[in-house]
Amino acid sequence: MVDAPLLELHGLEKVWPNGTAALRGVDLTVRAGSVHGLLGANGAGKSTLIKVLAGAIPASGGNVTWRGETVRWTNPRAARADGIATIYQHIPLVPTLSVLENMLLEQRGGWRLDRAARERAAAVAQSLGDPFDLDAIVGNLPIGTRQMVAIAQGLMSDPALLIMDEPTASLAGDEREQVYRTIRRLAGEGRAILFVSHFLDEIVALTDKVTVLRDGRAVLDAETANLDEAAIAAAIAGRSVTALERVERQAPAGDALLEVRNLASPGKLAPTSFSVAAGEIVGIAGMLGSGRSELLHAIFGADPAARGVVLLGGEEAGRDPAEAVGAGVALVPEDRAAQGFIPGMTIAENIALPHDGWLIAPRRERAAATAAIEDLAIKAPDPDALVGELSGGNAQKVVIAKWLTPRTRVLLLDEPTAGIDIGARTDILRLIRRLADQGLAVLLVSSEFEELLAVTDRILVLRDGAIVAEVDPATIDEAGLIQLASGTQSRTEIAA
Amino acid sequence: MTRSIDWRRTFGLREAGVYYALLILLVLLAAIAHSRGLPNYLSPQNLGNIVYQASLVGIMGVAMTVMLITGAFDLSVASVAALAAAVLVGLAPSIGFPLAAGAAIVTAIAVGIFNGAVVQFVGINAFIVTLGTLTAVRGLVLVLTDGRSLMVERPEVLQQMLAFESTRVPVFWAALLFAVALLALAAWKRRPLDALAGIVVAVFALLAGSDFTVAAPVVYLALFTLAVWAVLRFTVIGRRIYAVGGNAEAARLSGINVHAYKLGAFVLSSAAAGFAGVLFGCRLGAINPTALQGTELTVIAAAILGGTSLLGGAGSVLKTVVGALLLFTLTNGFNVLDLGASYQGLIEGAVVIAAAAIYTVGGDRRRARRATVDTAPAAPAVAEAG
Repeated sequence: MVDAPLLELHGLEKVWPNGTAALRGVDLTVRAGSVHGLLGANGAGKSTLIKVLAGAIPASGGNVTWRGETVRWTNPRAARADGIATIYQHIPLVPTLSVLENMLLEQRGGWRLDRAARERAAAVAQSLGDPFDLDAIVGNLPIGTRQMVAIAQGLMSDPALLIMDEPTASLAGDEREQVYRTIRRLAGEGRAILFVSHFLDEIVALTDKVTVLRDGRAVLDAETANLDEAAIAAAIAGRSVTALERVERQAPAGDALLEVRNLASPGKLAPTSFSVAAGEIVGIAGMLGSGRSELLHAIFGADPAARGVVLLGGEEAGRDPAEAVGAGVALVPEDRAAQGFIPGMTIAENIALPHDGWLIAPRRERAAATAAIEDLAIKAPDPDALVGELSGGNAQKVVIAKWLTPRTRVLLLDEPTAGIDIGARTDILRLIRRLADQGLAVLLVSSEFEELLAVTDRILVLRDGAIVAEVDPATIDEAGLIQLASGTQSRTEIAA
Repeated sequence: MTRSIDWRRTFGLREAGVYYALLILLVLLAAIAHSRGLPNYLSPQNLGNIVYQASLVGIMGVAMTVMLITGAFDLSVASVAALAAAVLVGLAPSIGFPLAAGAAIVTAIAVGIFNGAVVQFVGINAFIVTLGTLTAVRGLVLVLTDGRSLMVERPEVLQQMLAFESTRVPVFWAALLFAVALLALAAWKRRPLDALAGIVVAVFALLAGSDFTVAAPVVYLALFTLAVWAVLRFTVIGRRIYAVGGNAEAARLSGINVHAYKLGAFVLSSAAAGFAGVLFGCRLGAINPTALQGTELTVIAAAILGGTSLLGGAGSVLKTVVGALLLFTLTNGFNVLDLGASYQGLIEGAVVIAAAAIYTVGGDRRRARRATVDTAPAAPAVAEAG
C-alpha cells in the first residue's frame, strides 16, 4: 500500500441552491485494497459526499483526483465508466425482474439476454460465493440476498472503488456476516471500499481507516487500529454548532398516564413495557431500523399486528388510530409529507382534521388556525395557505397544531425535527417542553441525540426492536448514547 | 375577517373551464340553429330536455365523483343500473312498484358492498374488481332476463312507474326561492360566487316563465346533487372524504376510519346506480339485457370533464353535473340540428381529452412551485435521514 492513492479529495464543497452548505471542504484519501469507513451523524454530509463521488450531483468547489488525474464526473455513467460503483442504502433493484436482468440493467444495446452477458454475471456471482440463483425473481428474495444482488450489480462494471451506503442497516445478524465476508474478499482482490455505517462495532472490526464527517467537514481521519469506539463516537458527536442548552425541568411527580405493557409486534418489536407520567418527556434513542417508529405506531394502534396492552390513565387506549385519538393519544409521524398532512388542504383544514362533529365551522376553524399560526410562529400568510406549499418546519408545526386540543393527553413525536432548519427546530423543542409543562405525557423519538439530551427527563435506548437500557440524560453524554444505541452485536461475532 | 378571493384562479380555465365550455357550446349550437332557420335552440323546453337526458348519467356521475375523490374507481355502475332495472321490471308485476324499487336498490347496494369489501379488505385494485363486476353483473342481467326484453304488463303498475319517471314538475317558484336563498347567503357571507350563481338561476327561472315544468328525474338529480354538494362542502364527513383521497395514510393517522369512508363511497356509487336503474326501468316499463351498456364510460367522462382528479383528493359534484350536461348537449345538438351523427363520437372524445389537457397544463404552474418548495430545502437532510 505504498503506491499512489486511488482517490483523493481536496477541499470538496457542496452548497445547495438554497444556500445550505452540505460539504465545507472535505479532504479524503482512499487507497486500493483498503476498507475505508465513513461516519457521521444525520446531516453531516455523508450522503452528499457519496452522491458527488457517484457523479449524481456536481460539487460546488474543491477537486477530485482519481488515479492521479483530476476528474469531474457530470453523470453517474461517467463515474461508473471510470471504475466507481455505488450501492445506495435503499437498494434500487427492479423487484419484478430476475437477478440476472437486474445485474444487466446497465447493459446497452443488443439482445435482452445473451450468452456472454450471462457468463459474465455468473462469474461475478461465483466470485461472491454464489449467494443467489441467477434466475430467481428479485422480489422473492430475502432482503439480505437482495443486498448481495445489489453488490453483484455494482461489480458488473469491475469497479476499482465500491461505495456502500449503510449496506447492513436493514439486515439481520447472519445476513450482515455475509456482507462482511464479501467486503473482505473484495478488498483482498485489490478493490477499495468506502463503507458508510451507523454501527461503530462493525466499523472498528471491518475497516482499515476511518473518516468522520461533522457539519460538512472531516473532523477525524485516522487508522482504525489506533481508535476505539468511544473515540469515534466522540468525534461524531463533537461540539455541534447547534448545541442545545439543557433546561432542567421540575421532575413530574404524578402517576403514570401512559402505561405500555408487553406491547409487541412480530418481527418489529419485542415485548416492551414502560410508562410515562403526565408532564414527563421520555426520549427514545435508537438507530435507523431499531424499531422506534414501530413502537410509536403500536402504541397509537396503527399496527394491526401489534399485541399487548396500552393503558391511558388506567383505561385501554383502543386498538386502532380512531379509538386512540378518541382516548387522547396523538401521533406526529416520521414522514411528514406521506403521513402527516394533506398537501392539497389549507392550514385550517389540516388542523381541523381530527375534530369530530357534523358540521364544519369555518369561522371557528379559521380562528383556531390563526391562533396556531401565531402561537407556534408558523410562517404562512393566512390560514388558507396550502400546507403542501409550506417549508418543512412550518408544515411540521401544522401537523403538531392538529393535535393541540383539550382531548390530547399523550403526544407521540416521531422525528419531529427531521429535515428542519435550526430556527424552527428550536421552536419545536421549546414547544415540546411547554406542552409537557401543561401536563401532556410526551414520547419523543429523535435521531438527533443532543435533542434528546436537551429536552427529555428520561431516555429509553432501543436496539433491534427491544429496549436495552434506560438512562438519565443528566448523567450521559451524546457519545455515550451513540455507543449504547449502536452496538448491534458482540464484536466476536463480527470477527468470526 | 374576510376571505380574500383569488379572482384569477377562480375564473381561470382550470377552475371554471367546464362552465365556459358549456356556455360556448350552447351559444355555438344556438347560432347554427338560427342560421338554419330552425326553432330557438335555447328554448326552455329544449334546455329542460337536455337536463332530462343527462339526469341518469348525472346522478351516477355525482356518486362517481365522491368515489373518485376518495381515490377509488367504479366501472360497474352501468351494469348495476341495468341489474336494478331488471329486478324492478321483473318484480314489479308481482309485488308492486314501491317494493320492487326497494328491492332493486337493495340489490344494487349489495353489489356495492361486495365491490368495496373486496377492494378494501382483500386489497385488490378497484379498477380490476369493478371491471370484474361490470362483466359479471351484466351476465347476471342476461341470466335474469333470459336474454330477452322484459316488460311490465300490468297496467296499474305500469301507470305508477311511468308516473314516477315522467311526471312534469313545475319548478318556477322553487328555482326562484333557491335563487333568493343563494343571494341571501351571498350577501350574508360576502361570497360573490354564490351571488353569481343566484343571479344565473333567477335569470333562467324568469326567462322560462311561471308555467315551466321539468320531468321528475331532473328534480331527483337536482336534489341529489344539492345534498351531496352540501355534505361535501359543509360537513366534517365531506372534509374527511377529501382527506382520505388526498393522503390516506395521514387521514388514518389522524384517527379517521379510512375503511369506512372508502366502503361508503362504493355503497353510495352503487345505490345511485340502482336509483338510476329504477328511473331507467320506469321510463319504458321495460328492460332489454344490453340496456345502458357503455354508460359507465360516459359517467366517468362527465366527472373528468368536471375536473375530478383520478388520483383522488379533489373534485366537485356540481362541475360533474355540468360535465354531464356538456356531453348531452353535444349529443342533443347533433341530433336536433342534424349535424351528422357520425362525427359525434369523434367530437366527444376530443372534448374529453382537451378538458383533461386543460386541467393538467393549467395545474402545472402551481404544482411545479409546490414541488420546488418541497424538495429543495429539505433535500440534504432528508437524504441523510432516509
